[in-house]
Amino acid sequence: MRTSLLVCLGWCALVAQGFAQAPPPGAAVSGGGGGDYRSSTAEGGADRLFDVNSDSVDMENGSMQWKGKTFNLGNSRAMRMRFERYLSAPAAGGDMLKYQQLLQRIERLLSPANINNSNYIANQQEAFNLLFQAAEFEVDGNNSLTIATQVQKIWNMRAEFRSLEVSKNQLEVIRKSQETVIVNRAEKIESANDERSSAPGKAGQPTLAKSSSGTTELGFRVKDEQRTQAEILARNAEMTALGLKAQVEFQSQMVGFLLARRYRHCIITSAFYRVLFKSGNQNIRVGAKEVKEFFPVSDFVPTLESIDTLAREAMTDVTLGMKTVDDLVKQGELYGAFERLQETYFLGEFEPSVMMYDQAKKRDMLELWRDLRELQRLGDEHDLANVEGYVNKVRGRARDFPGAAILSKVNNAINASNMAVLSAKQAALSGDTAKAEAALERATKIWPQNPAVKDFANQVVSRQDTLAQKIPEFDRMVSEAKWRDIFNKKLEFALALAQDKARSDKLRQVVNRIGELDANIQKAQVLASQNNPYLAWDVIVETSRAEPDDLVLAKTRSDIAPLVADYARTIGIAEKLEKDGGEAAALTAWLQAQDLNPASPACGAAIKRLAGSLAQGAPAKATAAAPTPPAAGASGDDVAVPPKR
Amino acid sequence: MSKINPLVFALGIPFVVIAVLLVVVVGRTGGKFTNLSPFSLKSYRQDWTALQGNSYRLDCKVEQQLAFLEGKGRLLVVSPIVDRDKEMDKANLGRLPVFVPADSTQSFEVGQRFKFKVRLNRDLLLVEDLERF
Repeated sequence: MRTSLLVCLGWCALVAQGFAQAPPPGAAVSGGGGGDYRSSTAEGGADRLFDVNSDSVDMENGSMQWKGKTFNLGNSRAMRMRFERYLSAPAAGGDMLKYQQLLQRIERLLSPANINNSNYIANQQEAFNLLFQAAEFEVDGNNSLTIATQVQKIWNMRAEFRSLEVSKNQLEVIRKSQETVIVNRAEKIESANDERSSAPGKAGQPTLAKSSSGTTELGFRVKDEQRTQAEILARNAEMTALGLKAQVEFQSQMVGFLLARRYRHCIITSAFYRVLFKSGNQNIRVGAKEVKEFFPVSDFVPTLESIDTLAREAMTDVTLGMKTVDDLVKQGELYGAFERLQETYFLGEFEPSVMMYDQAKKRDMLELWRDLRELQRLGDEHDLANVEGYVNKVRGRARDFPGAAILSKVNNAINASNMAVLSAKQAALSGDTAKAEAALERATKIWPQNPAVKDFANQVVSRQDTLAQKIPEFDRMVSEAKWRDIFNKKLEFALALAQDKARSDKLRQVVNRIGELDANIQKAQVLASQNNPYLAWDVIVETSRAEPDDLVLAKTRSDIAPLVADYARTIGIAEKLEKDGGEAAALTAWLQAQDLNPASPACGAAIKRLAGSLAQGAPAKATAAAPTPPAAGASGDDVAVPPKR
Repeated sequence: MSKINPLVFALGIPFVVIAVLLVVVVGRTGGKFTNLSPFSLKSYRQDWTALQGNSYRLDCKVEQQLAFLEGKGRLLVVSPIVDRDKEMDKANLGRLPVFVPADSTQSFEVGQRFKFKVRLNRDLLLVEDLERF
């Protein structure tokens, strides 16, 4: 039970967070196709966690998922602020179009369709120059300058590369020359040794040993040649490193632009790369892992085109997303529009279609966004009492807001909290403090501001104080038989006497007694109101025998008495006669009363009782004997005394 | 055929009618216990002790048998027969118990009319004699 309540509450919190965090649509946004952009509400939370094709914005972690890849957008507060700033900022003006045209022109200049051997340098230079113009636009954020710097660096590296190439060629020439000298020297030494070994020696004496003349020089020559060889190798390594460095830096920038959602800059960087580097260097060295994550294929090989594809697809998604936003706004589905705008903004906040979105519409969404944030805050704080008001407020703004489910969960949570408070009260009354504390904790956890929790807490706090006062008060009332007063304070006494079994039992008896009395009073009042005052009087008279001192009963009796004056008087006479020993006369009076109220059970019972008694006491024969005087009775007189009128 | 004087018819018929009426009226209003005072329910209710030991004539109708004890008698509830047109008699309307001792062999049915000779034994009306009418 508890788990389910917490789950309910947790769901509420999730919902409250969910609608402020813009839950993603049930179907994928990506792909450029006509995806289902309608809101699937926060209930689709689990789906979006496991569906890599879904997009979602996670405000808590400051990240956004697109095609299963998480973009880190900074901390959540900054992310919220950025989105709020976007909603409140005016739409970008006409300059944006010019800027967009500039970037498209750069792209065109570097596209494979337009670049060839004749314009290879000129197009690069023109595109390079246009980057500076683009950088002048505020929306560019000087990212074009970064590209220009990168391109400039590559050009500088190329010059350096050429210089190294020259230096390497010169060293090769030197090495060749050194190699010739070494070969020459070696040949000379070899021919000298050959001559010595072929000359005839003295008999019995061995031939002369090899000559060592010139070997020292040869050694130095070889050493020189080796040094030159090493320098050449060093130049080669330096050139390779330079080339790799250039590639890595350029590719890093390109992937950086993609992850920063500067898709147009990413495409331009990619275009420059394609022009600046040879085909052998087109493989992705940087960010391959990240790019592979976008393509869940095990043997996928990322290329420049993969990055291009991703950037262009993102741009297409953004454009389509903004069209959807506009369409939803036109249909009056502001909440759905808000969700789509949030996703689209975080996917492509630097895209012109996002930046140029109409300010008035953004303003409406800003108001909705603030209400949703407030609703989220209420959900976070479990302020269930105020959730309904805000849900209705949001519904007023956005008719497609899924408020019914939220309200249903909130009501369930409120009921659960109240039930826990009730359970705590019952436990407290039965003296089970541990259970009461646990139930109260549960109630507070579900709904911290539950007024019933506060009331109960106050009762518990004041219980010890009242305990000392209530016990003597209860005892005094019991001794004075003030049952009605005890009944009126039954809840206070119940709390105070919970630990005192004897007094609790007494209290229970009093409550039952007065409860029964009230039921009879109620019954009499109903009979009187149904124009049956005699039966009402019977009930009152019967009840009065058990509770003669009850004020409420006395008041009811006095209210009904005027309606049954003759009946009441007759019964009074009958009772007095019976009390005085005049049973036959009493029976006559009861018969008279029964004539007034034939259905009276009291009259019937009295008549039956007296009839039996009279029949028993009557003489068996009618004799003319002198009558015996009536019994002394209560008065104790010898002579019968007529009943007082 | 002798001719009867018409005067005989003129005087004889009214005479016969009057005689019959007298017999009927006297028969109804008179009978037993005419020497006794009629029982007053009103007086009984007001102060039965003042009536103790007295005998009365009670013309009544049986309403109910409240109790019957073998060898003892029966307790009946009767209602006095009064002239409802007389304002004075209206006070005697009502029911009252009478005890018929076991020595009476009379049967009683609800609705039967009787003339009772009753005597007030303490506050109980004891039937000493009776006549059905």
